[in-house]
Amino acid sequence: MTFTAMVLKMSEGLGRTCAIFFLTLLFSLPLGMCIALLRMSKNRVIAGVTRFVISVLRGTPLMLQLLAVTYGPYYLFGFNVSRNKLIPVVIAFAINYAAYFAEIYRGGIESISKGQYEAAEVLGYTRPQTFMRIILPQVMKRIMPSVTNEVVTLVKDTSMAFTVSYQEMFTIGKQIANSQTSFLPFVVAGVFYFVFNAIVDYVMGHIEKRLDYYD
Amino acid sequence: MKKLLALCLVSALVLGLTACGGSSSADSSAPAEQETAETEAAEPEAAETEAGGEARTFIMGIDPEYPPFSYMDDKGDYTGFDVEICQAVCDRLGWEMQVFGVNWDQKLVQLDAGECDCVWSGMTILDSMKESGYIISKPYFYNTQVLLVKEDSGLASSADLAGKSVAVQLGTSGESLLQDDLKDLADTFSEVVTCDSFLKCFTELDGNAVDAVFVDLPVALSYVAEHEGFTIINEELGAEEYGIAFRSGDQALCDAVEGAVAELVADGTYAQIAAKYPDIVDNLIFLNE
Repeated sequence: MTFTAMVLKMSEGLGRTCAIFFLTLLFSLPLGMCIALLRMSKNRVIAGVTRFVISVLRGTPLMLQLLAVTYGPYYLFGFNVSRNKLIPVVIAFAINYAAYFAEIYRGGIESISKGQYEAAEVLGYTRPQTFMRIILPQVMKRIMPSVTNEVVTLVKDTSMAFTVSYQEMFTIGKQIANSQTSFLPFVVAGVFYFVFNAIVDYVMGHIEKRLDYYD
Repeated sequence: MKKLLALCLVSALVLGLTACGGSSSADSSAPAEQETAETEAAEPEAAETEAGGEARTFIMGIDPEYPPFSYMDDKGDYTGFDVEICQAVCDRLGWEMQVFGVNWDQKLVQLDAGECDCVWSGMTILDSMKESGYIISKPYFYNTQVLLVKEDSGLASSADLAGKSVAVQLGTSGESLLQDDLKDLADTFSEVVTCDSFLKCFTELDGNAVDAVFVDLPVALSYVAEHEGFTIINEELGAEEYGIAFRSGDQALCDAVEGAVAELVADGTYAQIAAKYPDIVDNLIFLNE
C-alpha cells in the first residue's frame, strides 16, 4: 500500500472521529451544566446522589463505560446490540465528559463571590436572572482553560471507540499497520491528532480572547 | 532577586529530572543486555545438548482468548493445546516456562521487544512475517476460515451473505484475507466489522449486530460445541497453516523447540495431548502425515 493510499484510507475514518468529537461536545456541555446544578442543589439527597454518580463516572475507565453502554443492554436484558455503533459511543462519551465538565462548571460557579449575588438582589434581579446574566458570563471566562484541556483530551480519547468496533481513524490505522506489518500508520495517526488539536487550540484560544471583555 | 531564585529552582529541577531519566535508562538497558547475553549463551547449549538442556526461562507469547489453542481455564490458569505442548517441550529441555499474553495485533512488536521468546498461539504463517526476517517453525496445523452464523438465520453459503454485515477479529488472518485475497467476497458484504477479540465478534453475532463471524475453523468448532443455535459454513476459504514465530537470529532456539516437538511426536506424548482436543486433531499436520 502506498503512503498516499494509507493516508486516504485513514482520512475515511477521520469523519467518524469528528462525528464522535462534535456530537460528544454537543451533548456533554449542556448535560454537564445540568449535573453541576444538581450537584450544587440545596437538597442533600439530590446533591449526594449526583456526587456518587460523578465519582463513578470519573472513577471507572471510559473503556469500561463504552463496553457497558454498548453490550450492557444485550447481556442484561437480551436487547439487540446496536448496529450503528455511533449511538452507544456518543452516549458513553457524552455522559463521561459531562461528569468532568460538571466539576469544572461547579469550580467556576463557586469561585464567584457571594457579594455579587447580594448586589444583584439589591438591584432587583431574580435568582435565574442573576445566574444567567451576571454569574454565568463570568464563569464561562474563568473555566475556558480547563474546558480546553478536556476538549483536547477528547480528541485523543476518540481512539477508544475502537473497543466497541467502531471503525474510526485509529481503528483503521491499526488495521493497516497490521496487514502491512508497518508502524507508519501510527505516525500518520499521531500527525492527524496533532493537527486536529492544533485547530482546537486555535479555535479555543480565539474564543478565550473574545471572552476577554472585562480586562 | 525573586526571579533569579525561581530560575535557580527551575534549573535544579530540570537537572534533577534529567539525572533521573539518565539513571533509569541505564537501568533499563542493563537487563536487556543481560538478556541478550543469556539467550546467546543458551542457544548453542540448547542446540548441542538437547537431552541435557540448559536451565533458562522460555517465555511463550499467546493470545489468551484463542481456544482451544490458548485460553484461560476454569481455575484462571492458561491452558490449551499450544500451551500444553509448549509445557511438554520445556519439561523435556529442562526449561522453565512462562506464559505471556500478547496484544494480538502487536504480537511481533512485543516479540521484538523481548517481552516473549516466541509467538505460539494458533498463529497463521504469513509471507510478510518471513519477509520481515522472523524465523518461523515448520507448520503444525492446517486451517481454513469459516463463517459462523445463527442456525435460524437461513444463511447457507457465503453467497447468501451479500448485503449482510460480517465481523472479524483484528490481527487475524481472516481480517487480512478479507482485505486482500477475499476482497471480492468482502465487497459483497454490506460491512466488515473489526473487533479486537473473538468474544466481541460473537457477542455482536449473538446480539444481532452482525450476521456472521469470519473466523478460524477450530475457534468456530469450540464455540459451536459450547453454545447452541449456531452453525458453521465451511467453504475451505483461505487455506493456511499455523506455526511458531521466533525473533530473527533465534534459529537455534527454533531448532531446539522443533527437535523437542519431534521427540514428543515420536514417543506419543503429542498424540496424547492432542486427544484432549478432539476438535482439532484432524488438522494437526504431525499426526496426519
